[in-house]
Amino acid sequence: MTPRISATLPTVVVTGVGLALPGADTPRELLRAAPSRPYEPFEPFDTGARIGRRGHRYKDRATRLALCAALDALRDAALIPGDSEELTVPGGTVGVVASSNLGNLDTACLTAAAIAKESTAALSPMGLPNASSNVIASWAAIRFGLRGPNLMLCNGATSGLDAVHWAATLVTAGRVRRALVIGVETCNPVVEGLLNSPAGDPAQDPAGETHGDPAGETPGGPAGGTAGGPGGEPLLDGAAALVVEGAAWARDRGAEPVAALGRYERRAGLAECVRALLPEDRAPGVWFTPGTSPGPRAAGAGMLPGTVPRYDLTAAFGRASGALGVLQCAAAVGWLGEAGAGAGDALVTSGDDPADAVAALLLRPPGRPAASPRQPGGAAA
Amino acid sequence: MSQLVTGAGAVASVGEGVDEVFRALCAGTSGLSELRGFDRDRYRARHAYEIDDRPAEGGDIPGRATAWLLRAVAEAAAQAGLGDDLSRVPVLVGTGLRELRSAELAWCDGVPLDPGRLHFGPALRARFGAERSYTFSGACSASLYALALAADLLATGAEDTVVVAGVDTLTESMYGLLDRVHAEPPECVRPFDRARRGVLMGEGAAAVVLRREESQEESREASREESAVSGAVLGRLRAVSMNCDARHVTAPDPDGIAEAVREAQWRAGVAPGDIDLVLLHGTGTLLNDEAEAAAIAEVFGRDAGAPLMTAIKSMTGHTSGGSGLLSLIVALRALSSGQVPPTLGLTDPVAEAADFRFVRERVEGAELRLAQIDAFGFGGVNAVAIVERAGAAAGAAGAGATGVAAGADGRAGT
Repeated sequence: MTPRISATLPTVVVTGVGLALPGADTPRELLRAAPSRPYEPFEPFDTGARIGRRGHRYKDRATRLALCAALDALRDAALIPGDSEELTVPGGTVGVVASSNLGNLDTACLTAAAIAKESTAALSPMGLPNASSNVIASWAAIRFGLRGPNLMLCNGATSGLDAVHWAATLVTAGRVRRALVIGVETCNPVVEGLLNSPAGDPAQDPAGETHGDPAGETPGGPAGGTAGGPGGEPLLDGAAALVVEGAAWARDRGAEPVAALGRYERRAGLAECVRALLPEDRAPGVWFTPGTSPGPRAAGAGMLPGTVPRYDLTAAFGRASGALGVLQCAAAVGWLGEAGAGAGDALVTSGDDPADAVAALLLRPPGRPAASPRQPGGAAA
Repeated sequence: MSQLVTGAGAVASVGEGVDEVFRALCAGTSGLSELRGFDRDRYRARHAYEIDDRPAEGGDIPGRATAWLLRAVAEAAAQAGLGDDLSRVPVLVGTGLRELRSAELAWCDGVPLDPGRLHFGPALRARFGAERSYTFSGACSASLYALALAADLLATGAEDTVVVAGVDTLTESMYGLLDRVHAEPPECVRPFDRARRGVLMGEGAAAVVLRREESQEESREASREESAVSGAVLGRLRAVSMNCDARHVTAPDPDGIAEAVREAQWRAGVAPGDIDLVLLHGTGTLLNDEAEAAAIAEVFGRDAGAPLMTAIKSMTGHTSGGSGLLSLIVALRALSSGQVPPTLGLTDPVAEAADFRFVRERVEGAELRLAQIDAFGFGGVNAVAIVERAGAAAGAAGAGATGVAAGADGRAGT
């Protein structure tokens, strides 16, 4: 059962990034928010300012946030020019992979509660689409006319990175030329209630260690702890999106890649996952850490040199659950753009040892050939 | 290069295990009963196709979908000779509603919930050591979508073996919102019948083990060395298509469905006239059955009356994300046994399906080689699979057409 990675698989690149969250409008701002800012509640993101207010009445907030990030990413990738909403490529060449763990919990729970209180006569039929967890991916396809395969990942802590991986898989398998990846979570009373109930927070660090390095200890370490009060940590109410694309297809339409996707692994634990990804202990240029417990200092002990800068986006933006992996990749794109080609790869990890698995992904500067022959697309870069 | 199904598992309202489920369906057994887990007085519809495993009538418990999933995967893995260790095998789970029922119970009744178990990864890790598991919440085509992704993993050479599963349970929110939109509450699911009133949900899980078909050389090698562990071959997966209508958030689009059917047949290298059996999506909703029948009629053209057609949701109810894979397992059994389960309650087919050769009484002794399985979901997510009987000579026209080669231009479906 030895996996056979074909050396002829095409390189997959990132050609667009989109954000819809409070506190950062660009990938580079994600970096600046991360190291210096202990968590403070931001003003909620105003979806109406980006996608308008008409026609969204019955969409849940997660869907609206997802559409905002998606529009931003599609514009950034020049798949939607200027202020138009028309795709520049055939809709069947674009797939959608969305990730969210908590997105429609409010619909499910509030609908069940309304039935318990009265009967189904009390329900609005307009709520029906939101009862299905893939409503986010569906609306992205409908709004932008994306007719390729349409996936929705609800895969726990690793879900966002898994979504990036499956988008790349759709491209390498030839199902589509490009795919829109969206990670989104929303914060509402149902989500807060379910996550912060006594049984509801398995990811809470048993040792009580705050995430993030003490200020200044590592170049990228976020400053100090967060408001991990009795109600648990703050939750992200926002979305991030990427366009991933076959390098040849990007070249074909003159799109400029901002990163190339390297290898991806999903393993039982963090150390094992990082080892599998970096078999020769080749240190990356930066590490986007898995957020909450265990703190990156503990997890990184002996695994990666302390000189590798680390970013924990959850410190500034809150627990991001199924959105985290996509948000981390967006930040990694920002880092690659700032650091330049010689600074190394960006390592992104999501999930931690108490979760069912840890996922990790490498992002490389665009245009640099793969170092390892096992990397998909090495020959084609 | 196509792929072999080497193990299968199923749990449904009509039975436990593939043997029992298939026997029950061929005998025309329905899993229909009065609502068991919810308060009937709060709904207009009073029936569903539930698995009768709750401790007491009138109440509900969390984690049922997870339990069925583990049983279906265990059955499939055992048959394929994988045993209980799936640590190095990807497990792809398609579901419409994951453990949202557990969330509802937590919110409404204060039943403790571990939010880390809304997806199936932790349970699969605990039971099978699975480290690479994925929960895809892709509405009612989710398990065939997962099958397509698994086929791609095998076709690109990334993996040799993948476990694919599907599972769903009733949620009060989905059952209730469907109840709200029914013009008249249905008493049963009557696919393609003019008198159908809509869909009723069902419960169940299905799983298969999909293995890369070895080249003849590899297979000679394997037969010398490890024939004992290679397991049974239940059939061959020729191709799976997946696309999205991008039209409406709940209503199906006949054009998108037709495209998915055409693409599946093209990837499999077969023509409509080659298909011997169609397992229809057939939900019994007004919209689905008309759209599906119109799409099939259009793609099959003058061959629309040739294949046998059946819709097992007439006995299992709509098992949502798991339904496509359950149909696929039934299709493989039908191909190998020559028996085809009937479509219950179908007396007067809709106009669009007037020429279809529906199976209304149990069929036995049919000579069947190729089957098509349909699955469509909310959001216009369509997937269609083509399977071939085990032992049938690898199809003439397109045995090499699966996966990467066929879709390498990256614009399938345009």
